[in-house]
Amino acid sequence: MPSMRRVHQDLLIGSACLLLSLFPARALLQPSLASGKAEVTSTRGPQPAPPVASVEPVASYVIQAKLDTEQHRIFGHETIRFANHSAAPLNELWFHLYLNAFKNDKTLFLRSPFGAGRSGNKAHQYGYVDVKKLTVVGGDGKDLWLERDHHSPDDPHDETDLRVPLPTPLEPGRTLELELEFEDQLPEIVERTGYAGSFHFVAQWFPKLARLEPDGRFAHFAFHPQSEFYADFGDYDVTLDVPQAFRVGATGQRVESSAEKGRQKLRYRAASVHDFAWTTWDRFETRSERIAGTEVSVLYPPHEERNAAAELASVRFALPHFNRLYGPYPYPTLTIVHPPDAADNAGGMEYPTLITTGGPWYSTWGGGHFIDIVTVHELGHQWFYGLLASNEHAWPFLDEGLNSYAEAEALETQYGPGSVFRGFGLSLSSTALNRVISAARGGDEAVAQGAAEFATFRSLGALVYSRTAIVLGTLARVYGTQRVTQALTAYTRQFRFAHPSASDFASVMQAELGPEASQVMRNALFDRGTVDYLVRDISNAPVTSAAGVFDLPTGREQKKPEPPRPATSFSSRVVVYRHGTLELPVDVELGFEDGSKQRRHWDGRGFTVSLDNVGPSKLASVNVDPEQKILLDDDRSNNWLSSEGARAPRATERLLYGAQVLLGVLGP
Amino acid sequence: MSSTRRLPSRFAELPAAATATMLLWISRTCSGLLVAYPLLVAIKASGLVSGPGADSVLFEPGSQLLLELLRVGLPLLSAGLHVTLLLWVLSGLLGLVPLAFAFDLLLAPGRSFGERLWKAVRLFPRLLGASTITLLAQLAVLLGCSLCAAILKSALQGRDPRWLDLSPLLMTGIGLLLCAWVGNLLDLARAALVERALDVRQALLVALTCLREQPWAVLLGSYPSVAGAALGYLSAAWLVSGLDLSGGSTRPIAIAFIAHQLAVLFAIAWRVRWLKTALELSGNTQVASSLR
Repeated sequence: MPSMRRVHQDLLIGSACLLLSLFPARALLQPSLASGKAEVTSTRGPQPAPPVASVEPVASYVIQAKLDTEQHRIFGHETIRFANHSAAPLNELWFHLYLNAFKNDKTLFLRSPFGAGRSGNKAHQYGYVDVKKLTVVGGDGKDLWLERDHHSPDDPHDETDLRVPLPTPLEPGRTLELELEFEDQLPEIVERTGYAGSFHFVAQWFPKLARLEPDGRFAHFAFHPQSEFYADFGDYDVTLDVPQAFRVGATGQRVESSAEKGRQKLRYRAASVHDFAWTTWDRFETRSERIAGTEVSVLYPPHEERNAAAELASVRFALPHFNRLYGPYPYPTLTIVHPPDAADNAGGMEYPTLITTGGPWYSTWGGGHFIDIVTVHELGHQWFYGLLASNEHAWPFLDEGLNSYAEAEALETQYGPGSVFRGFGLSLSSTALNRVISAARGGDEAVAQGAAEFATFRSLGALVYSRTAIVLGTLARVYGTQRVTQALTAYTRQFRFAHPSASDFASVMQAELGPEASQVMRNALFDRGTVDYLVRDISNAPVTSAAGVFDLPTGREQKKPEPPRPATSFSSRVVVYRHGTLELPVDVELGFEDGSKQRRHWDGRGFTVSLDNVGPSKLASVNVDPEQKILLDDDRSNNWLSSEGARAPRATERLLYGAQVLLGVLGP
Repeated sequence: MSSTRRLPSRFAELPAAATATMLLWISRTCSGLLVAYPLLVAIKASGLVSGPGADSVLFEPGSQLLLELLRVGLPLLSAGLHVTLLLWVLSGLLGLVPLAFAFDLLLAPGRSFGERLWKAVRLFPRLLGASTITLLAQLAVLLGCSLCAAILKSALQGRDPRWLDLSPLLMTGIGLLLCAWVGNLLDLARAALVERALDVRQALLVALTCLREQPWAVLLGSYPSVAGAALGYLSAAWLVSGLDLSGGSTRPIAIAFIAHQLAVLFAIAWRVRWLKTALELSGNTQVASSLR
């Protein structure tokens, strides 16, 4: 059997080939791993006065909650201590009962035509909160809840935003203590809240006061599918009663625990925060580490140690980085929750001192930094949401947008241009990704507008997250990264433990960046400002001495045209145009046939500029914004011209090889 | 006229396997250029490679302009991709001619170029028939595997998510292995077709008999060819991934081209070795002897 012998021989050779192929395969992966440890060269921020460590509480909560893990119900008792810090007496209180967003298909949240909120899921099992009683502590015991409005203002089907009249006005500077009994029915996981099997993520779960603005108005709003939240700072003291086999992660620090009859009571305290969320599951694994003075814990599903390790590694870099740029993280703990796959809707969300990440068990394989991206993004929210508690309903760009810039800056400091992905000889950066998303939506809508005003959540996502990051990225590249970093540092220090508005942000930017840059920022964020630089024609003409009839003081002179001969000097011109309303200064690189280059600067004012040159060589190419500083440039394909036309030797080589491999694998 | 006369003698001077390898490489390169052309035109039409740096901008770290190409050039690329897919299918079909040519070279080194070409063209319909039947069998295998994957996934519901995620991959792997085995049978049938000018049914019968008589030789016969190709492609990827194509120099392009083409040649050389084995295997079956 000669053929069989050949097969055996080939088998041996083939095995050797496969073993050999393992070497380059490992080496192929190595650069991506190695590049993950890029040198850390973060920009050092200024050294201002020590930042504020806490804030005077406005709305503080003491809550006892018992979870029935079979029925997914919570039985709660709540005491609210509320101070009227406004200048006006209060005749009413506004409560947010956001769990009612999942009560039926007619709520503002669930009836939206696209059928889902930010998380993309619709409720399958409904959830709601019932307030059983509301009384004033030290009052006559009257149930104030009976006098509440029965639905959100002008919305008979929604019960997420309710007004309760007060029996007597609460004068400025006075404090009121309220007591409530409530029961929650958790939905199957939707919009980061609910259960999946025995996993529970409990957010927006207790009756909570809307934020009181300084003028005495409550900033209250029904739970819109595109919106997030807004609340006053306060101190939270929450005791959770769950089965003993369950592990718990929560906002704040665990200060007490006790166990009895198969259940455990865990008491958490968090000072100077504006929300409280928690999670519990009987299958959580945990890891903890002290990072930059903070006790960081990760709760993760079984077998996802690699994800947990990646999350801790991200925090190991990002926490000190953000501390340095945006002021120190003021809380003793940080809890990272990696929800199981079945509850992936609970992932990618921020709460005070607690963030949720997400991703399947293989997320860390293959050169992508997806775990890092979500971890750093949610960690950044501890500043842009947690400490700078702006109105996310009115100005979502103040938290999501600024945080997206902070996230991209941190990831690129850590991983360089491969901050999203590195492998197969390619790298993909957060900035590139944000730019392409932002450019796709361009000036569709204003960035700086209310969450509910965006036409769709996709539009909100592209403009609020990506375009804000690209606006700041452009300012950093054009006017200096140091200046933008300093401006953000000043903003985060000035409004730490405060509720900055869009105009507060704009004022700080104007003071720090100067009028020109801040005008660009205002125009881009508030007025749908766009820009597109483009170059159209290159023209070259030989320089010859003027011919014709000239009346000179010495008399009429007639000059004949020069006989044709090779030109030694050329007059060249190119016209650069600016479309759109953003006036950004830009560099233009002129390339000549003899290989020489010239750099010209245009301040971006006006809609066009002609660039002229007289020299020994013809103008051969023009490149507007060669360093790609203007990330806001809507279309980069019209930024250059070359006399050589379109050339793609690299793409030809790659495409040919790709086609050959494809034909080899799937051909005859 | 004189050139066509000289060609057979030149071919005869080279070892048959080397000639077959070169022939298949030339054929695949021509097909590759044809398949890649619509996408190349789309890239050029996007305007992004019209600058002084040509297409080096597409390979810059961070891939800002590569993403811009996908955004700005998406309609062009999409249209180009459709044409590319069509050309790929056509190239796949026409690729049966050089394959038959290569089989004939391995079988009878002395024949003239014209004779081989005529034989390859004559056998094309039968080769196409065998390929179609095999393709249908492979599709049935893949469909069966995807059904098994769905059943496995539902059975694993609520278990360790790693198994849940890996089960479709596992079934796809099994499906691809089975398809590769069916592909081996196809090569045996093709060998029989070229060697003895059988009809499609007889050729497939030879292949199946061969599988019955020498199952391990048939099932594992192409394994070295796959492993060799993997070695070539991975080595090229390792070498080329370290090249910086974002600069103005043409040297990295040349190195990448050479590395990639050597990898393709290496893979083709291994395939030719398997084709030779297929000829021997199909020639040794009892059915083949009776049909001889």
